[in-house]
Amino acid sequence: MRFDKYFEPTTVEECCSILKEYGSDAKILAGGTDVVPRLKNKIWRPKAVVGISKLPDIDTIAVQKDHLVLGAGARLRKISLEKSLEKDYKVIMEAAGNVSSMQIRNIATIGGNACNASPSADAIQGLITMDAIAVITGPEGTREVAIADFFTGPGTTVLNTGEFLLQFKVPAPKPGTGAIYKKFAIRGDTDISIVGVGCRLTLQIDGTIEDARISLAAVAPKPIRAIEAEMLLIGKKLTTELIEQVGEAAANSCSPITDQRATAEYRKEMIRVWTRHAVEEAELRAKSS
Amino acid sequence: MERMEIKLTVNGRNHTLSVRPDRTLLEILREELNLIGTKKGCDDSNCGVCTVLMDGLAVKSCTILIPQANGHSITTIEGLEKEESLHPLQQSFIDHFAVQCGFCTPGMILTAKAILDENPTATEEDIREGLHGNICRCIGYKKVVESIEAVRDGKYKESCGEV
Repeated sequence: MRFDKYFEPTTVEECCSILKEYGSDAKILAGGTDVVPRLKNKIWRPKAVVGISKLPDIDTIAVQKDHLVLGAGARLRKISLEKSLEKDYKVIMEAAGNVSSMQIRNIATIGGNACNASPSADAIQGLITMDAIAVITGPEGTREVAIADFFTGPGTTVLNTGEFLLQFKVPAPKPGTGAIYKKFAIRGDTDISIVGVGCRLTLQIDGTIEDARISLAAVAPKPIRAIEAEMLLIGKKLTTELIEQVGEAAANSCSPITDQRATAEYRKEMIRVWTRHAVEEAELRAKSS
Repeated sequence: MERMEIKLTVNGRNHTLSVRPDRTLLEILREELNLIGTKKGCDDSNCGVCTVLMDGLAVKSCTILIPQANGHSITTIEGLEKEESLHPLQQSFIDHFAVQCGFCTPGMILTAKAILDENPTATEEDIREGLHGNICRCIGYKKVVESIEAVRDGKYKESCGEV
């Protein structure tokens, strides 16, 4: 591991000007749990590393009236244990709590999990399920991008050179909403997901599904939404038959690969199974909300 | 490459170091402060033998750049023992035969301390969940969990001070 300069900007402007000067030769360091191994293994050889932990409010976790603000530097473990999120944003706690081990969650950040853009990343599944908005800043100013559009492929995002992620804004769910993230892995949290499924359902008083989100991890080049499965749900009441169809639709919407963790065929099958579980449990939560 | 001034409190002692920022906390502990109780295993944040406490939270020191630890308080395995008396967790690991080759032990004990400090009534499940990031390839986990449960149950409090 070798780089020339380490910066620790204390204002967003200072951070922007460092990123402008170094361009693609700079790497942002949040928790570092993905960046540091890559520096050590010389996969990345930046000239400058820019630690963002001193930026103002970068580790904010703040529940506001109509949305939740998560600073890009908010630690995953803190999110996973934050009691104020339990009522409306439980799925975000769960997804963050499913990342790796306690030691990693103590240091890894929600922004890092997003910018690392691994298709199997767990924490961002909570954000996709809840329609989070990424707030990005850079030389051209600040812009907002829907989380579902944030990822462009394995390890790549919409961030341009010189830009960085500042925070996520998560809209407060409507009454009657329940959401859950289910991770399937051999060794529990510590392991990388074979598949992961997030589901959010908003129910009307009579039980009709008003809105639905299904997000899938580790079964495509990037985290995806199973939009056809969502469409099947909207406007209907949940039945055993419908749950089967939704599982089938989710399995058909993904394009997994075979690797050391599982074959592509097994992953598709598991998406069918875990989508069913996720939908059923999201409905239970919606009913009790 | 410029050196950087780093202030660290390690096991209660203050250090001011002038080091290159592209080194890890683990390297600084072992190579600059000679605290070799913290081990280097996979060096990739998978195995957990490099676990130390940073401001009381368990972290993997092999994957923390030294500037990230600047200004923070670190506890290593050397910091647990007090005046010739082992920490309750250390004594419990010995009494329960939770050590075979011993390489994972410092990391296991510090993780165990973090688990109990945060939740003094941690269940077996909580303990096992907390230990997920620590891998042992010889003694296994059963005796480790039993050692931690014994400390949780107060069997060591009087002889060994506080957890």
